Amino acid sequence: MTTDEGTKSEGEVQAAALAERGEDITPARDRGVLKVRRMGLPGRVLPCLLHFGVRGHVGGLHPQPLGSRQVIKAWDIGVATMKKGEICYLLCKPEYAYGSAGSAPKIPSNATLFFEVELLDFKGEDLFEDGGIIRRIKRKGEGYSNPNEGATVEIHLEGFCGGTRFDCKDVKFVVGEGEDHDIPIGIDKALEKMQRGEHCILYLGPRYGFGEAGKPKYGIQANAELVYEVTLKSFEKAKESWEMDTKEKLEQAAVVKEKGTMYFKEGKYLQAVIQYGKIVSWLEMEYGLSEKESKASDSFLLAAFLNLAMCYLKLREYAKAVECCDKALGLDQDNEKGLYRRGEARLLMNEFELAKCDFQKVLEVNPQNKAAKSQISVCQKKTKEHNERDRRIYANMFTKFAERDAKEAASKIGVEKAVEKAACEKGPKTPGAE
Amino acid sequence: MAVDELQAIIQRCQILEEADFKGEDFNLFQVAGQKCLEDGYASQLLEVIQNEKNKVIIKNMGWNLISPLVRCIFMYKQEDDKREHCLKILDQLAQLCNPKELFLGLLEQIEQTSGEQVCQTVMLLLQPLQTVLLKLQNKKAYSVGLSLAMIMNQLTPLPVPYTKQQIQEDKLGLCQCCNAVVGFAKPFVNEVVKSMEKSSEYSDMELKEELVKFCMKSLKYPLLTAQLEQLEGIEEHPFRHFATEIIDILWDIKELIPLVFLHHKGKSPHWENQEFADIERKNSADSLACLSYLMFVQHFGIDCFPMVFSPSYLLQCNMTHIEVLLKRTEESMLSKGLDLFESCLLRMEDNSLLHQYLEFRDFINVPQDLVKVMTLCPIEHLRKKSLNILQLFIDKFDAEGKYTLFRCLLKTSNHAGVEGYIIKNIKDQIHLSLTKACDNIWFTGHHLISLLDLVLLLPEGAETDLLQNSDRIMASLNLLRYLVIKDCESDNQTGVWTTLAKIEQNFLKPLHVGLNMSKAHYEAEIKNKKENRRETQSPNTVCSVSVSGEKMPAMTTEMQLQVLHSALFTFDLIESVLARVEELIEVKIKAVMDENS
Repeated sequence: MTTDEGTKSEGEVQAAALAERGEDITPARDRGVLKVRRMGLPGRVLPCLLHFGVRGHVGGLHPQPLGSRQVIKAWDIGVATMKKGEICYLLCKPEYAYGSAGSAPKIPSNATLFFEVELLDFKGEDLFEDGGIIRRIKRKGEGYSNPNEGATVEIHLEGFCGGTRFDCKDVKFVVGEGEDHDIPIGIDKALEKMQRGEHCILYLGPRYGFGEAGKPKYGIQANAELVYEVTLKSFEKAKESWEMDTKEKLEQAAVVKEKGTMYFKEGKYLQAVIQYGKIVSWLEMEYGLSEKESKASDSFLLAAFLNLAMCYLKLREYAKAVECCDKALGLDQDNEKGLYRRGEARLLMNEFELAKCDFQKVLEVNPQNKAAKSQISVCQKKTKEHNERDRRIYANMFTKFAERDAKEAASKIGVEKAVEKAACEKGPKTPGAE
Repeated sequence: MAVDELQAIIQRCQILEEADFKGEDFNLFQVAGQKCLEDGYASQLLEVIQNEKNKVIIKNMGWNLISPLVRCIFMYKQEDDKREHCLKILDQLAQLCNPKELFLGLLEQIEQTSGEQVCQTVMLLLQPLQTVLLKLQNKKAYSVGLSLAMIMNQLTPLPVPYTKQQIQEDKLGLCQCCNAVVGFAKPFVNEVVKSMEKSSEYSDMELKEELVKFCMKSLKYPLLTAQLEQLEGIEEHPFRHFATEIIDILWDIKELIPLVFLHHKGKSPHWENQEFADIERKNSADSLACLSYLMFVQHFGIDCFPMVFSPSYLLQCNMTHIEVLLKRTEESMLSKGLDLFESCLLRMEDNSLLHQYLEFRDFINVPQDLVKVMTLCPIEHLRKKSLNILQLFIDKFDAEGKYTLFRCLLKTSNHAGVEGYIIKNIKDQIHLSLTKACDNIWFTGHHLISLLDLVLLLPEGAETDLLQNSDRIMASLNLLRYLVIKDCESDNQTGVWTTLAKIEQNFLKPLHVGLNMSKAHYEAEIKNKKENRRETQSPNTVCSVSVSGEKMPAMTTEMQLQVLHSALFTFDLIESVLARVEELIEVKIKAVMDENS
C-alpha cells in the first residue's frame, strides 16, 4: 500500500487538529485516545491503512469481538463509542497502541497512531461457527480467563422461549453439569467463552437447547429455539490435567465416573460424554505410574472407553463408538462388552462382515452370551438381503454392459486394425504407441 | 520419404469435410508426422502446418503430434535449427488446434514426465498450455485448477535447493520453474480480479478457489522447505520472489487476510468423511504456518495487514502455527517456527502477557515443544536459539504467568539442565520481588513455598542419580543459598524459614546420604579399575556404543578412570556448596537465638 505525500501531510494536519479538539474517551481520562467525529474536520483523504482495516477487509475485521483484547486498547475503547455508520478519527498514544516495542516493520517504538474508522456493521458473535450459539455481550467481563469444563460457576440466568420467560434464577453449578439444574448444554458451552462479570444474551439453536426431548417442566416443545440472558458472577476453575498429580487424577476419575453413569441412566448422553471424556483426558497420556496405579488407571480408562462407546451408540455417532471400542480393546483385547458394542456399531454402519466377526469373538469369550448369538443371525440375514439387492442391481448392470460392449466392439474393429498396421510399420522405434 | 507419406495423407484429407475424418486418418497422420520429426524434417512439417489449406486438418489432428514433438525437442541441442523449428511447430499447434484435445495432450505430457526432466518439460509447455486454457470455452476453472495441481504434483518430489550454492546452481531448474508457473497463473488471476471489480457478489467462485488451492500448495511446497532469508550476493532470491508473487496473488483475489485468520475460526471444509477433513486440515496447517512466517517474519504483504491487532492477539493467532512448525524435525521448518515465535514475542513489552493466556492449550504446549528442541535437536544453533526464545517467552508474562509456566516446565521437562535453568529463573524473580518496591505475591510467601516444594527436593530421594541431576541440584542449592543470605529469619519474606524443616527432610538430608553413597561407589570403582589394570589387559567389553551406525571405539581404562574422577569432582563441588548452605543456616539460626536470649 502506498501513502503518498499529500495524504500524509493532510493526515498530519488532521492529527494536529485532533490533538487540539479531540474528546478524551479513555476511562482513565489521560488523553490516551482522542476522538473526533468526521463532520468536525475538513479533509476528505483518509490514510489508506485504516481505511483498509475497516472497509477493505470486512472479512478480516468483522469478527473481532470488542473487549477481548484482540485489537489494540485504543480500538477497544474507541470503537465501543461508535454507532453503526459513524465515521470518526482516533488519535492514540503509544500506551494505547503498540507501546515501546512497536510492531515491526511498520510501527516504530513509541509511535502515536492516527486512525480514521468507519463502523460498517456489527453483530452477535457466533461462538462455535455453526450458528448454534449466538452471543451479544451487554456488559463486558473483567480479565481474560474463562471457566473451563469442570469449573464451578455462579450465574444469574433468565431463559426465554417465544417471548415468554420460563426460567429465572441464581444458580451455582459445575460447567458440564448444568443439566442437573435444568440448564441446557449450550449454556455450559457458552460459559467456557465468558469472563468474570460478563453479562450477555445467548441465542441457542435446538441442538444446544433442550433438543428433541424438549422440556415439559417448562412447557418447552421439541426443537425450540431459546434465548438466555446470563450474568457470570464468579467462577473457580477446575485444575488442568498437567496441574494434577496421579493420585488426584485417580481420585477424581472415580467421582467423575459416578457422575457420568448417573447422566447415562437419565439418558443425558451428551453430558455423560463430558464426564467420561475427563477420565480419558486425565489418564490416557499419564506415564510413570506405579504398578498399582497403572492397574487402577487402566481399569478407569477401560470403563470410560466402554461407556463412551455406549453413549456414542445412543447418540448415533457410530464411527466414534467404534473408535472408543478399539481403544478399550487395546487395553483388554478380549473384553466382552467392547467386542459386543463394536459389533453393534458396525452393524449399524452396515459393515455386516466385521460386525459378525466381533459377535463371534464375543461368543469365543463367553459362549453363554445369547444376545451375541441372535446378533450373528441378524448379521447373516442382513448380509443376505444386502447381497440380493446387489445382485439385482448388478444383474441389470451386467446385461447393459454386455450390450454396450458388443456395440463398441463392432465399431472399434476398424480402428484397431489400423493401429496394428501402424505399429508394425514403425517397428520398435516408438514404444509409446503400443 | 516420410514427407511424401505426410503429403499423401494431407492431400487425401484436404478434400474431406471435417466431419468425415476417420479414425484411420488420425492414425496415419500421426504416424507420418512423427516420422517426419524423427527423420529430421521439422522445417517441412512446419510448412505443412502453416499452410492455410491445411487449417482444418491441423485443427482436428494436430494435437497428436505433441508427444513426438516434445521428445524431439529434448533430443536436439539448444542451438540446433531443427529445435527452433520444433518450437515453432509447438507454437503453431497451440494457436491452431482444438483447445479441448490439445489441453489433454499437453497435460498428458506433463503427467508422463519425471525425474530431472520435470522442470524442463513444464517450462516448455507452460506457454502453449496457457494459450490453450485462455481459449477454452467450457470448464475453464476446472482445467486451470487441474493444470496447476498437476504441475505442482510433478514438482513436489524434487529436492528444494537450500544453500546459497544450491540456489545459484539450481541444478534441476526448480527455482526458475516455480517463477514461470506464477507467470502462467497471472492472466487467470487478472480474470478473477476483473470479475470481482465488476460485481461485489462474484458469481463464479470456481476459478478463485482453484487459485487459492494453488497458492496453498505452493506455500507448503516449495516455500515451507525453502530457505527464505535474504542471501548476500544473490540479487533476486528466486524463492523470495516466488513468495512475493504468491502473496500478491492472494492479496489480489482478496483472500490474504481471511487466510491469516482462518485457522482461528476452525473452519473446516465440508468433507463428509472425517478422514479427508483431517488430511485437509493437516495440509492447510502447514501452508498457513508458512503464510504467517512470510508475513510476520519476512514481512511479505505486511503492508496489507491492518495494524490494529494487539500483539498478544497476534501471538495467540500464531501459536497454532508455531506449534505445527516446532513439531517438525527438518531444519528449514524448525528455524521458521523459531523465527516466527521470536518475531511475535519481540512485538510485546516485557511482563505484558497476561497469565490467562496459559489457558490456551498452545501456550502450554509450545514451551514444552521448545524444550524438546533445545534438548533433542541435533542442530546446535537451533538449540541455542530455542533457549533464548524460552527466556524471551518467560520475560513477556506477568508474574502469575511466569509462576505457572515455571511449575509446568518443572513438571514436564524431564531434563536436569532445563530444570536447572528454570530454577535460576525462579531465583531471578525472587530477587526482583525482594529488591523492588513493588509487591509481588507470586514470588514471596505461600505461593513461593509451594513452588519451592517442587524445586528443593531430590526427585527419587537418596537414590537419585546425582551425576545426571547435577545441574538441577547445583541450581537448587544456589537458590537456597541465595534465600538464606538475602532473607533474614526475622523478616522471612520468602517464607523459607518456615519451611526449613521440610527442606531438610526432602532435600538436604537425602542429598547427604546420596553424596556419601555415590562417592563410596565411585571410589570403589576407581580402586577396582586400578587393580584390574594391573591384572588383565584383555578387552572384555560388556557392551558397545554406536553413533549413527559407526561403532565408537571402546573406552580405554585410562579414559574410564578420567570419567570416574570427574564424577567425583562434581560430587565434591555439590558437597562444598551444601556445606556452605548448612553453615549459613546454622549461623543465622544461632544469631536469632542469641538475640532472643
